[in-house]
Parts: sequence; C-alpha cells; structure tokens
Amino acid sequence: MLLTSCDSDVDAGEFVVGSDNLSVNNKVILIDTATVEVSTINFDSLVTSGQSRILLGNYDDPIFGKVKSDSYFQVSSSSYNLQTTSSDLEGANYVFDSIRMVLVPDKYYYGDTTKVQSISVHRLLQKVKPNTDDDNFYNNSSLNYDAANIGTRTFQPKPFRQDTVFVKMDNTFGDALFQKLKKREITNEDEFIEYFKGLAIRSTSENSSCVLGFQSTAVLQLYYSKKVTDSETSLLKEFTIEDVSKQFNRISLDRTGTILKDLPGTTQRLSSDLTENKSFIQSGTGLACRIDFPNIKQLKYITEKGTIVDAQLVIRPVNNTYSKTYPLADSLNVYVADQLNRIGGALTSASGSSIYAVLNKDNDEFDENIGYSIPLGTFIQNEMVKKSDSKSALILTIPNIFKAVDRLVLGNQKNTGNKIQLKIYYISY
Amino acid sequence: MKNTIAILFFLILIPFGSFSQSLSSSPYSIYGLGSLYDSDFGSISAIGSSGVALPSDRFINNLNPASLGFMYRNHFLFDVGGKGIQTSYQDLSKKENRNNVQFSHIAFAFPLSTKSAFSVALKPYSSSGYKISDYKLPIQDSNEEYTLSTTGTGGLNNFDISYAYRIGKKLSLGLSTSILFGSTTENREYIISNSQTTIDKESSYNGARLNFGTQFKVDSTFTIGANLKSPSRVNATKVQSVTTYNATLEASNTVESDVKSDTDDYYLPFEFSVGISKRFKNNLNLTMDYEKAFWENTKQADMYGSYLNQEKFKMGFSYRKEKNFRSYFDRVQFSTGLNYDSGFLEIENKRIINKSVSFGISLPIDNAFSMLNISYSYGQKGRISNGLIKENYHKISVNLSLDGIWFVKRKIE
Repeated sequence: MLLTSCDSDVDAGEFVVGSDNLSVNNKVILIDTATVEVSTINFDSLVTSGQSRILLGNYDDPIFGKVKSDSYFQVSSSSYNLQTTSSDLEGANYVFDSIRMVLVPDKYYYGDTTKVQSISVHRLLQKVKPNTDDDNFYNNSSLNYDAANIGTRTFQPKPFRQDTVFVKMDNTFGDALFQKLKKREITNEDEFIEYFKGLAIRSTSENSSCVLGFQSTAVLQLYYSKKVTDSETSLLKEFTIEDVSKQFNRISLDRTGTILKDLPGTTQRLSSDLTENKSFIQSGTGLACRIDFPNIKQLKYITEKGTIVDAQLVIRPVNNTYSKTYPLADSLNVYVADQLNRIGGALTSASGSSIYAVLNKDNDEFDENIGYSIPLGTFIQNEMVKKSDSKSALILTIPNIFKAVDRLVLGNQKNTGNKIQLKIYYISY
Repeated sequence: MKNTIAILFFLILIPFGSFSQSLSSSPYSIYGLGSLYDSDFGSISAIGSSGVALPSDRFINNLNPASLGFMYRNHFLFDVGGKGIQTSYQDLSKKENRNNVQFSHIAFAFPLSTKSAFSVALKPYSSSGYKISDYKLPIQDSNEEYTLSTTGTGGLNNFDISYAYRIGKKLSLGLSTSILFGSTTENREYIISNSQTTIDKESSYNGARLNFGTQFKVDSTFTIGANLKSPSRVNATKVQSVTTYNATLEASNTVESDVKSDTDDYYLPFEFSVGISKRFKNNLNLTMDYEKAFWENTKQADMYGSYLNQEKFKMGFSYRKEKNFRSYFDRVQFSTGLNYDSGFLEIENKRIINKSVSFGISLPIDNAFSMLNISYSYGQKGRISNGLIKENYHKISVNLSLDGIWFVKRKIE
C-alpha cells in the first residue's frame, strides 16, 4: 500500500519555473545568415509541341528584350470528299467561294492588350516533321515557309471576351486547293499533306505589346457552293489540327542591349551579382532562376549533435518589375538540379507530391511581404548530412514554362528591399 | 525471528522496482536530478528534520550514522514511512492544487555488539516530476518563438549501509556508504516553425558517497553531533531517441533511436552538518542543527542549472511526560519544529527558499519503543514572482518505528 505512489490530480503543465533553463539541453537555433547564391540560367530548348496552344504576338519587354512567338502547325481533315453524297455529276456543279482561318482565344495573354495585333499566315514549304531524334518541336525549332503570305489580319485583342479572330485568306490559294479536292486529285491525308504541308502564323506588328494564346481547335474553313438551279447552297470543308504534336510555337527572345545579353550556355549560369542583384525567369524562352547553397555542409559543426528541423526560403520579386501588365505567377515550380543545370526531378515532399514556391500575397504598404516561400527542411537537412561533395541546387520556373511568356525578376541576398531569405531551424540534441 | 527477517528483506527489496517512479511533482524538480528528498525517520519530521545529535536508541536516526553507536543491546529497529502531501502551486496569474502520496523509506538496524551496530536503509535521494505544456520560448537572436512541451519523471534512490562504533561511553563514530542509483525520463516535444521534434531521453545514474559521522555525549542530557558527506560524482548515461516530423513536407525523420551515450555526470557537493541535543527537566528535548552544502563547487551550471551554496537551519522540541512508564498517555511524545532551507537553486537570480513548521505526535504501540509517528508540516517553497512559483504544502508523514526487542526476549527466554 505504501509502495505505490500516485498523483491524484491531473497536472495541466501550466506552471513553469526558470524558463532560461529549459533551453539548456536542447538549443533551438535560427540560422538566417547562410549564403544563398542566385543566378540565371538558360534552357536552350523547351518542348513547345503538343501544348494545345497557338501562341502569337510580340512585345518589347523593358527588362528582358524583344519577345516574339510564331506558331507552326499541320492541318488535316477527316475526309477529302467535297460532299459525302457527292456524285461526279453533282460535283461538277461545285464552285469555290472563300477560305479563312478561324482562331479562338484561350484567355491567355501577357503584356498590354490595348494595342492592335497583326498576324500573317504563310504556307509551309516543308512538312511538320521534327529534325531531332525525338518527336518534339522546341521553342527554337522552325520550318521553312513561303515568304509571301496567304492572309493577314489586324485586330484588337479581347482575350476575355474570346472574340474569335477570322483571317480572310487568299482566294487563289483557296481555289487551287478547292480544285484539287474537286478533281479528286487529293483523296487522302498523305496526298493532302504532300500538297498542303501546313501553316505558319507570324506576329507581324511592329509595335505589338502582348502575346496571346489561341485554342488549338483553330480551323481552316473552305467555303464552296453548289449551283444547280437558281438556288445556291453554301457548303463548308474544315481542316483542323488533328494531331496537337504537329503544332508548336517558336518563342524567341532578343536580349541584345539588355542586362541579359551575356547569358551563357545551358550548362552555365549567370550570377545575379553581375545582373544588378537580380535573377530572371521567363516561360517560353527558357530563362530560369537557379539557387545554390554553397555552405550548408558547415552547419554540421554548429553543435556536436544537431539536426535541421525546418527551413524556409523566401525569394522576392523585385519591386517595379511586375504590374497588372506583367503579373506575378501564383506559384513557381521547384526542381532539384546538379552543377550542370541538369534537372533530377521536382522538389517533393516525403510522399512524393511536388512542392511549389507559393506566392504570399498579403499586401502591406511597401510590398515587403510579397515573396515566394519554399519549405526546404528536408532538402537542407539532406544537403547538410550528404556524404559526397556534390551539391544540389534548386531551379525555379513558372509552371506554364512550355506554353507562355510570363516572366519574373527576383532579388538575391544583396538586393536591398527584395532580399532572398533563408531561415534554417536547428535543434541540438 | 527468521521468518520476520525474511519478510523484512522482502519489504526492502520490493521498493527497488517502484522507487524509480515519480515521487513528487514540482515544477522545480526540472532542475538537476529532481528535488532532493528528506526522508525523516521516526519522529524526526516533527522536529523540523533536526537530529544530528540524536541517538538511535528508540528509532533509527538516519541523519548521523554515529547515532547507531548508542543503540540498545538486544534491540532490533525497523522503520518504514510514507507521506501524503497536498501542494498548491501559485504563480502571478493562477493557482492549482495537487495531492500526492509517497513512499518514504524502509530501514532496519541491529547491534553487532555492545559497542557497534549496523543498519541498512532504502530511501529516495531525489525525485523528478514535472510537466510543461505548450510553453512558448523565444528563439535566440530572432523575434520568433518555438513551443516546448515536456514531462519528466523518475529520480534517484539511496541505499545506505551504515556502521557505528562506540568508544567508551560517550563517543561514537559512524560510517555510512550511500549508493545512489536510478533514472529519470524526460520527454520533450518541440514545435519549431512547421516541424515537430520529439526527444525522449532516459538518463541513468549511479554513484556512491561516504558519510562520516560522530556523536559525543557531553553529559547525560547534552549531546553534540556532526556529519560529513563526501563530494561525489554520479555517473550518468543516457538513452535517447530523436524524431522529427515536418508537416508541410510530410517528412518524418528518425534522427536517432535508442542511442546510448555518456552524458554530463552529476556532482554532489561536500556537505557537513552539526547539531546539538539537550534535554531539560528530563522530558523536554531541544534539537538544533546547522547544515551546509557547497553546491557552488560542483560547477555544473551549464548542464544542470545554476547552483548556490545551501544552508539549513533546523530546530525542534519534543516533549514526553514519562513519569509513569505504565501510563500509556505518559509515553506519548509531542513534538514541534522549524526548518529553514536556503535551497541551492538559483532561478531568475533568486534563491528557492523552503521553510516549514511541523507538529507531531508519537504513539506507543507496544511496551517497548515501537511507535507510530504522525506529523503534520506546513511549508512554503519558492515565491511568486516573474519566472518563479510558490508552493504551499501540507504534509502528513506517517512513520512506523518498530522495536524488535521482543524477538530477542523470546530467544533469551
């Protein structure tokens, strides 16, 4: 009876003495002085085929240079008869009316949409077939096209209203195509593509200021009619992008005269120290932000035994580099890469789901809290304890990297006002 | 006789298992090896825990091994006790009551000859029992906080083997070896940013310490005593598991699992106590002790907390009529005492002082010296101020001191 001890009341644990002593055995340390190196890299080839978007337009970016996107694609049809029930007798009565290209906006735009856009449509002189070993086209791929256009259009972009853009096309071209079909000289896809290899749509406006996305359901419409008696029936033959892998965008950036003019090759990096303490990301053209943690291994020596329990990287967009015209992306993709910018995979949680850099939009007066935060606890801990000398880096891109031209300017550790910040939480045990 | 001894041994061995549990709960016991424990044998708890100069004639006096030199021949003493404590904890904003029942000690002593005696005792040395929930602490050099929850239990046991030898009629010398052993368990949970870290630690301790005591009977009513405790090192090892979990990254990481390692040993200071016992008019007895422990020399602030030298002043009176040995009431002893303990902990630049007043009654339960000792103490520990709390406690101690003379008598008969 005397040998048992018991607490008859529940201890809620609300009484604390000597709080200083509580941190004696296990020290909690916040390290915010670790070096973070920020640089810009350039992926020279992004796969732009199969993205289901016709990206057209050009604009002169005040920071990045001249951005331009042209689109190339192959069209085809389900059948090459003029009329399914046609007989030769009837067919003789068909006459060509007109031909046009129909482009439907997909709500994507980047830049200033108040200025008019001009586009021109050209016939391809070669088939839409990749030059490379794989089946992809890249942002720097191009195909020969006829310099003479077969249609042009100037329009006011209204991406939200999704006002369809109709491009009236050359009747000579249209009639020639019509005659091929009428005379049954084209009866299948191979014959059709041999004759009509595809289209290139170019952005031609000198002072265009935005890039627009159109749905890949773009249609080439051939109108013809049947003249039997006095009555006239209008008929339509449609050609569509049946295979989205046969459509790609050539997205280019002319960096001449900009801060980015010295951007090195794919395996190199351009330190943000040389670019006004800024790093640059641009979808479509392959600019990405690279982040290195050169001294993480030294954290091992903070205490005899310790572990990193959490880490938070906050990277901030540079003030005055974003606006309503050039909006910030809500999140960024985060990849783990080696010294040569080769991506090993996305940064993931333990269960394998991707981790994104998420924009904190809590506005304050000076936008000081605007930044992308990335939870890096596991990554930094692994880098610290890694046995080998190799160091991993992070590469940030905008999620629409393959089919858009969004861009972002980020600050490094020396950027006053928009400083990148790494917080590492460490506990000794 | 044999059976009784066997039972006593059994009673002594049983507690080894249960000793390691938390004996008391006090927020202050987060320091060091826990709160140190006064196991007052016999009626000592009623006289302010004083008694360095008291002989072990009617009960085992654990305050001075030399007291055994004055044991009566043919007596066999046994002492077992327990305590019930109600404590109210109070800080600047709140108050909370907790009750606690504790095993105190078990001991027996027997003379080896007319001049020498031997005793063994098992008692707690320290006990640790605390809990802190969701306490926010600042991260150094930042404006961020982390949250700590922790519970601690356990404590150290003290197994004493004592021997005393009396030289002549007046001087007794005693030697005691205290074997300290036990373990404390601490579970800590940290919430730091988006992570949760659990550190489970079991620390095991063992060590030994020598006590040297002496008592001198100046005359039949006046005795002086002294006791020295050697400084000692208590070896410490720990078995620790550390796991972290990061909610955002869904990542759990076993940093270490049941890893055994050496940890900072614990140092016990040199201590001495001196005391007097004086009887007036053959029935009122005064005891006064002074005790000092040199904790500052142990220099273990980095690990176990900031320690100061500790002083204790103890005083007690006990009264027994004992005019008529046949009268039960005349053999009842009444006691009262005061105890002041400066403490050795310094928290927030303040000493944790413990002071108490006690009253007791000792009821004879046979015709020999067997007594049931019941005492009540009221005390205060600590104070209400920033970072400190005050504990007000009511303590009932019940000790059974058995005198085994009848066993021997039967043998003699």
